[in-house]
Amino acid sequence: MPFTKFTNLDFDQIKTSIKDYLRANSTFTDFDFEGSNFSVLIDTLAYNTYITAFNSNMIVNESFLDSATLRENVVSLARNVGYVPRSRSAAKAVVSFNIASSSTSAQIILKAGLVCVGAVDNTSYTFSVPEDITRNNVNGSASFDNIEVYQGIYLTKEFVVDNSTNQRFILNNPNIDTSTIVVKVGTREYKQVDNIFTVDSNSEIYLLQEIADEKYELLFGDGIIGKKIETGTTIKVSYITTDGADGNGPSLFSYSGTTTDSSDILVTPSGTVSVSTVNRASGGSSIESIDSIKYFAPRVYSSQYRAVTARDYEAIIQKIYPNTESVSVVGGEELDPPQFGKVLLSIKPKNGISISDFTKTEILNDLKQYSVSGINQEIIDLKLLYVEVDSDVFYNSSRVSNVQDLNARVVSALDKYSQSVDLNKFGGRFKYSKALQVIDNVDTSITSNITRVKMRRNINCVLNTFAQYEICFGNQFHKTIGSYNIKSTGFRIAGEADTVYFVDVSSEDSDIGILSVVKPTLDPNTYEIVKKSIGTVDYIKGEILVNTINIISTSIDGGIIEIQAYPESNDVIGLKDLYLVFDVSKSTINMVKDTIASGEQISGVDYPVRSSYSNGKLTR
Amino acid sequence: MAVQRISRAFKDISLSFDMHPVTKDILVLKNEDAIKRSIRNLVQTVPTERFFNPTIGADVKTSLFDFVDFGTASVLQKQIEIAIQNYEPRVENPRVVVDPRPDLNAFEITVTFTIVGLEVPRQQFSYILEATR
Repeated sequence: MPFTKFTNLDFDQIKTSIKDYLRANSTFTDFDFEGSNFSVLIDTLAYNTYITAFNSNMIVNESFLDSATLRENVVSLARNVGYVPRSRSAAKAVVSFNIASSSTSAQIILKAGLVCVGAVDNTSYTFSVPEDITRNNVNGSASFDNIEVYQGIYLTKEFVVDNSTNQRFILNNPNIDTSTIVVKVGTREYKQVDNIFTVDSNSEIYLLQEIADEKYELLFGDGIIGKKIETGTTIKVSYITTDGADGNGPSLFSYSGTTTDSSDILVTPSGTVSVSTVNRASGGSSIESIDSIKYFAPRVYSSQYRAVTARDYEAIIQKIYPNTESVSVVGGEELDPPQFGKVLLSIKPKNGISISDFTKTEILNDLKQYSVSGINQEIIDLKLLYVEVDSDVFYNSSRVSNVQDLNARVVSALDKYSQSVDLNKFGGRFKYSKALQVIDNVDTSITSNITRVKMRRNINCVLNTFAQYEICFGNQFHKTIGSYNIKSTGFRIAGEADTVYFVDVSSEDSDIGILSVVKPTLDPNTYEIVKKSIGTVDYIKGEILVNTINIISTSIDGGIIEIQAYPESNDVIGLKDLYLVFDVSKSTINMVKDTIASGEQISGVDYPVRSSYSNGKLTR
Repeated sequence: MAVQRISRAFKDISLSFDMHPVTKDILVLKNEDAIKRSIRNLVQTVPTERFFNPTIGADVKTSLFDFVDFGTASVLQKQIEIAIQNYEPRVENPRVVVDPRPDLNAFEITVTFTIVGLEVPRQQFSYILEATR
């Protein structure tokens, strides 16, 4: 019998194969007995085969982007499709300071390198600039306004080109923010490029690639693609190595920079330099993870650096703004009414919920080189659609010692679910059945739960101004004939002393309800109408329109009115540009004793029945 | 063509890998010699030494550094008996005698057994177990 199972990954099966082979071919007989000398030989052979098979398996796995596990190999495979994984990015802060000195030089130069030190969580972080900054010295004072400083240590490295075929230009430090790399060949500064679209034989460019151990290698031109560097030329590379996301946060800085005059003579500031913070340090992020490279490399390849489809935008925005957590792209033709030639983008950054106007402009400018001519992009602010639950959790009192503790565990489990990948993204979905399971699985003492789902959006009111408001929920509303489908928090309007609320009135024969402003009366079941027909409620589209109204104050600080609706389907989706958030902090969890399970009420006569529907109250 | 018959006898290679002076082939251990060697291999194998078969062997190594007395001897005897019973199905009625030799800091092991299925007398062999390191 031939021995052909070379790739078997089970040691015992390999051993059995060898024994079967020997049984048919050998004059020896003792290989079946574990103590025999032959058994030692068979073990050695089988182990050898096993290791070879294992290695073959690993090599094959590491040869494909989907199955590779070592970063070096994933990066190398991504390189084959022209993808450069994102480096760590340094947290950036914007600071201003004045350098007063006795120098009479016309200009003061802030040297590249350490500028200031900031602290967060009892840890100090250094902030540097990657290049010299020059300012005019007026009356012995130079103003360095709005200087962007990068968290990290400034380093330099020099190479002398010897034009040997095996010379490599490797930056030996890991944790480099590649956007801070400055390459000077002789006196000329070379530019970093991602692709060779516009590169010719005289282009002063270099390409960057990640190699082993998260280090980077510079690749220069060969005289055909990019300018060739002459033998003996000195290449000076400077860069910043950073702590990534850890450097986010510092808002107070102390000056530690170095300044010189235009003759390169050191200038010592007279007195202490006080640093004022324009923007606190933010935007620091880790190196791109292996999972992210596996996800984005094929997509960036398929987009071919052209923003055409929604997926292309997702891949490219992730590349030009690494702090992106989720992107929603809506083509203008999908809007109501359609706006052809327009693409609306909504970006959820990793820290916070909005991006500054400056960042929006930067992203749009970067996007221009990838996008199709004639298509205008617009970045719109994130619209948050909150999901809240109102849950009655039934527990078996004979199995619970501390109900508050159980309640805290339910909240904690829901909080964990709220951070899952199902939610917290554009196109996310609150899965009702999953949430019910999460509650039930917290403890064996929980017998069941009745959970009502609510959707909420916050209106940012323009106070003391006549304004119209449109609030889209993107999910159909549940309509009960009468009132109280829509609820709001309190606010005050011009000409009315009391706090008022929005309320809707629905009718059986129309999918459009009427929105009114009302105030409560002493009888909790009735209300007094303050302004009738102030707007409409489209139950099918899940849209509320408020006609011109002058809101002068709101019960919640910051001019916010919370509007709540019950969804027709308990699974709530984040439609188009709505970013779905499961708000556990505003959810209510009531612990209810299950008197049947605990044995108190065998017949169930006085069982505490809880409704699965709305509470019928005016306010939230 | 003559029918090739394979003997039912036990045949094992010799790990000395010496050459047979006449046939120039590798030395072969047969029947009782093969089994004796097998038992010695088992006793000298430390559990966890063999890949993917961690239980095989007898844990005599740890006992060799204990006092050379009858107490340790009885522990050794039990371990060797268990190893033979578990991993050497070709023998039956094994009897192990462990004789402590305090002056040599060693134990003399005598194993007596009957081979299953072979018309040979009851076998006996002895060897010295000594802590060398």
